[in-house]
Amino acid sequence: MADTETRLRRCFAAVFPDLDEAQIAEASLGSIAAWDSVATITLLSLVEEEFGVSFEPEDLARQTSFAKILADLEARDTA
Amino acid sequence: MYHQSVKLIEALEVLRAAPQDGAAPWKCFLASSFTPLHLQTFLAAELQKRHARQPVQIETGSFGDLAASLESVSAEGLEGLCVAMEWPDLDARLGLRRAGGDGLSATEDVIAESGRALDRLGARIETLAARLPVAVCLPTLPLSPLLPSPGWQAGRLELALRTALATFAERVAAAGARVVSSERLAELSPAAERLDSRSDLVSGFPYSRPHAWHVGALLVQTLLPPSPRKGLITDLDGTLWHGILGEDGVAGVAWDLDHNAQAHGLYQQLLRGLSDSGALLAAASKNDPELVAEALAREDLVLPADRLSPVEASWGPKSAAVGRILAEWNVGSESVVFVDDSPMERAEVQAAYPDMTCLSFPEREDASLPSFLAHLRDLFAKPRVLEEDRLRRESLRANQALRAVRTESGEAPEAFLEQAQARVQLHFATDSSDPRALELVLKTNQFNLNGARPSEAAWHEALEGPGAFRLVVSYDDKYGRLGKIAVLAGRLEDRTLVLETFVLSCRAFSRRIEHRCLAALFERFDADALVLDFTPTPRNGPLRDFFAAFLGRPPEPRSRLARAEFFERCPRLFHQVEEA
Repeated sequence: MADTETRLRRCFAAVFPDLDEAQIAEASLGSIAAWDSVATITLLSLVEEEFGVSFEPEDLARQTSFAKILADLEARDTA
Repeated sequence: MYHQSVKLIEALEVLRAAPQDGAAPWKCFLASSFTPLHLQTFLAAELQKRHARQPVQIETGSFGDLAASLESVSAEGLEGLCVAMEWPDLDARLGLRRAGGDGLSATEDVIAESGRALDRLGARIETLAARLPVAVCLPTLPLSPLLPSPGWQAGRLELALRTALATFAERVAAAGARVVSSERLAELSPAAERLDSRSDLVSGFPYSRPHAWHVGALLVQTLLPPSPRKGLITDLDGTLWHGILGEDGVAGVAWDLDHNAQAHGLYQQLLRGLSDSGALLAAASKNDPELVAEALAREDLVLPADRLSPVEASWGPKSAAVGRILAEWNVGSESVVFVDDSPMERAEVQAAYPDMTCLSFPEREDASLPSFLAHLRDLFAKPRVLEEDRLRRESLRANQALRAVRTESGEAPEAFLEQAQARVQLHFATDSSDPRALELVLKTNQFNLNGARPSEAAWHEALEGPGAFRLVVSYDDKYGRLGKIAVLAGRLEDRTLVLETFVLSCRAFSRRIEHRCLAALFERFDADALVLDFTPTPRNGPLRDFFAAFLGRPPEPRSRLARAEFFERCPRLFHQVEEA
């Protein structure tokens, strides 16, 4: 199975198809115009499906960048 | 057993692979009062799978008020409309996002409010269904836990709501909208796993992801149903009946409960229903032809034997028998289902006809019988049964008579046609209300000007352009009625007819109906010439040959056929012509 970062990249690529590899690594709520509230929910739903995790409503406000989501997943030891 | 759903990432990847080459989008409106979120994604992905050459575009209305959203829909440019209803669309108090006041304790008020809401929704859906395909999904989520009656008992409010909803569904279906089957949804999506209350409260999207996919997929299937199969070829021993004719004898084969053979009786019953709605049925059996004839003469058959035509009983390969049946029917193998209990026979037929659907008849004690019967029913499913469907069997017999008369009498076609008492009815359409016309265009392959498959919405719009005409042709003769068998459509530019659509059912070949159609157009519009919007397809050879006889060469896109040229080469026509 691919590592956590690769799987997370696939989720980002599905939600933000215009981003290249480098842009995905740097992606954040403030830097991506297409990252609105609907994109947040879609992205976190994908991450839930892919990693078998569950986000709480308050997580929506915290998961605001690729780096933060990756760190959260690695902290959960889902790799 | 519930079916696995598609994952969100798979749906997004389907959308990501959509064509980006500037092709005009295939537009569909999704009306829901909740945030459509993943339902929109799944719906778009399922539509995208059906329209590989165009990007699908989903339009949505204002959230929170389904009726207002529907009232904002303009049918222009849309190919379809999907409506996802939920209980709060009847009365906001039925949802989880509303609290306060008397709530659902005000039972009579909720019932009255729901009636008003359904009236408003019904009126709008009726209007839209006259303009474009509409699929409606009735509420799918559990009723509110705040209902005054206990969960194990259907109380006054629940019963009244379900009754009002059933009346609403009948109303919109009568207007042409297609209602998603709640029963099929229940098979696919367990009721207890549909609601995602956390998502509903946080984001306003009430569906669990698997449920969203099932609703989206069923809406698409209901909006764009697959083309029904045209014919079914059945084995006899172990399939149409239990037992082996050569061993058990004519009296020994059975299809009833008493002989533990009810599966075969139910199968015959289903075939009878399919035949009633226009499916062609035939038998292919490795058997003694005389024994088969004797068995098919039994009066207790559930399926009357005359519904099977032809009956191929011989000791030769099944694939050869199937080939003769296809030739008799004049239909392609991809439109036919073959049912046999023998794996070897199925494999042999499948190898000869890879695109034919070959199904195994279930063993007697097999629990899969209901799903086998349901699958067969769905393969032949039509949104509605038209008069022409019922006439198909009759017209097949008429074709057999036509061939027999020619063979026995040795008469030339000219003499035969002269005595056939043929009558052609011309219907110059002024609206698109006749579903048969589009059905013919969508399912005709051999005599088809260009193979174009317009959407329902495009078909409606085409008649609204300047100079547009549409001719639907019916036929009957002394051998029987064929019903509506030809459609011609296009536009008149000065004195030139641009022919964009010309289809003729293969059941109606060899009667010079195609000649009559063109003659009728020239005469009705006093046109000097016909320009053909022709495109060659792998299967429209018969149409190519027809025009080649007039043009002196195979037609090409924009070929021009002059009036004088047509009438000079047109053979004698014997039809009595009437304009409806």
